[in-house]
Amino acid sequence: MIGTALPELSIELTPTVVISTALATRDFTPVHHDTALARAQGSKDIFLNILTTMGLVERYVTDWAGPRAVIRSIDVKLGVPAYAGDRLTFTGTVVAGADDRLTVEVRGRVSLGDHATATVTFTPEES
Amino acid sequence: MRASTAIAGIGATEFSKESGRTELRLAAEAVLAALDDAGLSPGDVDGLVTYTQDANQEIAVARETGIGDLTFFSRVEYGGGAACGTVAHAAMAVATGMAETVVCYRAFNERSGRRFGQPNAGLTGQPTSQGLEMSWHVPYGLMTPAAWVAMFARRYMHVHDATSEDFGRVAVAMRRHAATNPAAWFHGRPITLAEHQESRWIAEPLHLLDCCQESDGAVALVVTSTERARDLRRSPAVITAAAQGAGAGQMMMTSYYRDDMSGLPEMSVVGRRLWETSGLSPADIRTAILYDHFTPFVLTQLEELGFCGRGEAPGFVRDGGIELDGRLPVNPHGGQLGEAYIHGMNGIAEAVRQIRGTAANQLQNVTNVLVTAGTGVPTSGLILSSD
Amino acid sequence: MTDEELHELAGKQVALGEMRGAPAPDPVNVPMIRHWLTAMGDTNPAYLDQGLAPPAMAQVWTMQGAGQNRSPVDDLLAALNGSGYTGVVATNCEQTYHRYARVGELLTPATRLTGLAGPKRTALGVGFFATWNVTWYGDGDEPVAEMMFRVLKFRPREPEPERRPPYPLQPAVNQDTAFFWEGAKQEELRIQCCADCGELRHPPGPMCSRCRSANRSHTVASGAGTLYSYVVHHHPPVPGRATPFVVGVVELPEGVRIVGNVVDCPIGEVEIGMRLKVTYRAMDDRLVLPVWAPEES
Repeated sequence: MIGTALPELSIELTPTVVISTALATRDFTPVHHDTALARAQGSKDIFLNILTTMGLVERYVTDWAGPRAVIRSIDVKLGVPAYAGDRLTFTGTVVAGADDRLTVEVRGRVSLGDHATATVTFTPEES
Repeated sequence: MRASTAIAGIGATEFSKESGRTELRLAAEAVLAALDDAGLSPGDVDGLVTYTQDANQEIAVARETGIGDLTFFSRVEYGGGAACGTVAHAAMAVATGMAETVVCYRAFNERSGRRFGQPNAGLTGQPTSQGLEMSWHVPYGLMTPAAWVAMFARRYMHVHDATSEDFGRVAVAMRRHAATNPAAWFHGRPITLAEHQESRWIAEPLHLLDCCQESDGAVALVVTSTERARDLRRSPAVITAAAQGAGAGQMMMTSYYRDDMSGLPEMSVVGRRLWETSGLSPADIRTAILYDHFTPFVLTQLEELGFCGRGEAPGFVRDGGIELDGRLPVNPHGGQLGEAYIHGMNGIAEAVRQIRGTAANQLQNVTNVLVTAGTGVPTSGLILSSD
Repeated sequence: MTDEELHELAGKQVALGEMRGAPAPDPVNVPMIRHWLTAMGDTNPAYLDQGLAPPAMAQVWTMQGAGQNRSPVDDLLAALNGSGYTGVVATNCEQTYHRYARVGELLTPATRLTGLAGPKRTALGVGFFATWNVTWYGDGDEPVAEMMFRVLKFRPREPEPERRPPYPLQPAVNQDTAFFWEGAKQEELRIQCCADCGELRHPPGPMCSRCRSANRSHTVASGAGTLYSYVVHHHPPVPGRATPFVVGVVELPEGVRIVGNVVDCPIGEVEIGMRLKVTYRAMDDRLVLPVWAPEES
């Protein structure tokens, strides 16, 4: 099990993705939906909010682990911004595990580098 | 001092666009040629005079030419305006006994080396009085001799209803004279007024052909007492009058703050002095060597020196007044527009030739020749006469 | 606030311990879950099948409008902003889920500041790392999820001033002329004025040539002028300037002349006698030149 690579997930960060996820997480900060304002503040464009990064990491692991897996923790170290127009690609590897708890390391990369480096622990199947 | 001193020898290098030699070598060659012309040896020389912007110190020229002890040396200020001033200083030294034989020289590679017509951002480098003066103009990009003169020329046109063609006729006359002077750079190359009008703008209202050429070369003159000159190889060109002049409110090329910008008050100072000390009048002058770095100031000089009235110079020139057969032939050698730009020194040599009767475009019955130096700056002038 | 004072404040806030915030405005509910799943592209059927919220939604339930939910973190962040550490970037978000929240459950957050570290030099600038914990309590007041959150509050580097190449044609300036160039920077056209006899003079100098006074003052010219003469410079090229350009001698109603560029005017329309008004051009970071434009423009 340890060393198993998760299938890659690549998400095109269209403005729709960036904005709809921001609103779905009830984050109305303008830098996540207002391009002109984001640029005026020195950003290249609108960018993903952190709650979405957490949600996408969770989705990436459960896509692979299946609906019976139960997420126990998600630790994310944040890196470069994930801007609209970029592509966010997740890769993952199982790094530790016992019967009831597996640990997966996840990297979410964009063109500028690592957007998120995450450690996710989960229980494969709720007992 | 009147008539007690004379120019006894003249010497020059060839006039070119690239001498291929150092400026010191050019100076030495011209000095030795002038001494040979006079029939003197370097050991006879005890004074040297040049003027600012010459890269060759007097002692260096003395070393190269074998001139020994010097009892007089002087470097006259204000660039081309000092050309005749060198002769004035030499004559004073001879007349006062400071020296017996003084050589005046100018040597430069002004085309292949330092080109005075090019912008030099260093003009305002230091807060000297001149650096500060330039600082009212250079920051606006007003920093070339052509542009400085063009400012006066535009005002002259406005005040006197003059045109670019009036300036052009000066250039055409100078090139016509040069065309028959084998020593001239533009020997055999006259121009038409149409060519003048078609030449590109340098600084409106000045066309390229309103601006004198840039030259490499050197000229030297030997000044001694008239009495001694009479015993030498050549007949003397007697220094009847010599003057320097600066006007009230004078600046270097940019005297824009005086009451009138259509004249050259400093040349008026020189003219008054020349007429007063010589007792002569414009009618006594057979030919004039007028400093012609830019055509408009030739017109102004004719007026300031009294050869015609204010605003009358365009008509004077249009009527052929400055031609070889005119009322006042100007620059029979072709001037700096036609022969070479040696900062006015080649014009003094031409005056001497006209007195001797040895010029390429020799005029008849030459008794008195008036010579001027650089205009727009503190200037100087001479009247040379046959003995 | 000094760095020490920031640490003092942080210490006080840490000592406050956990502070309860307002409960979520809505209980955990299906429409928000469905919306979230759709936006994330998450097709995991477990949540809606079992009436559970995706665990990463923990914070979503209690997202509030600004200022509604005072926490020990707010004062510290405000103090950091006030001390110049205005930049913010989140560095860590670590969530631990005790269980999945259930549909119908009302979550209540509680926040405690756990630390302030710094100042530290970072790639973004000098800053402080502030760390706090949020715990979400569910029905029965038991913790459902916890989060450690860390941000870097940094002092943004001075934006690189837009570097203009130094203008090559600088004036020489000394104590006799500095007032003029200082005036230009303040968009004043200053003309030297003798403090004793009142004589105006340009260009300026150390002595009044009329009364010999060295007491100098200056007057500020009206800025009107008349073109007295001008040139159009074409050749040779001049450093720092695009050709052709116009330089004129301008006569002021105050009675002096001054040289300057004629700008904002087609070259063909420049003529002696035209009425001008002064305007100013910054040539680089230190030199401002008074120049002249047609009066009507």
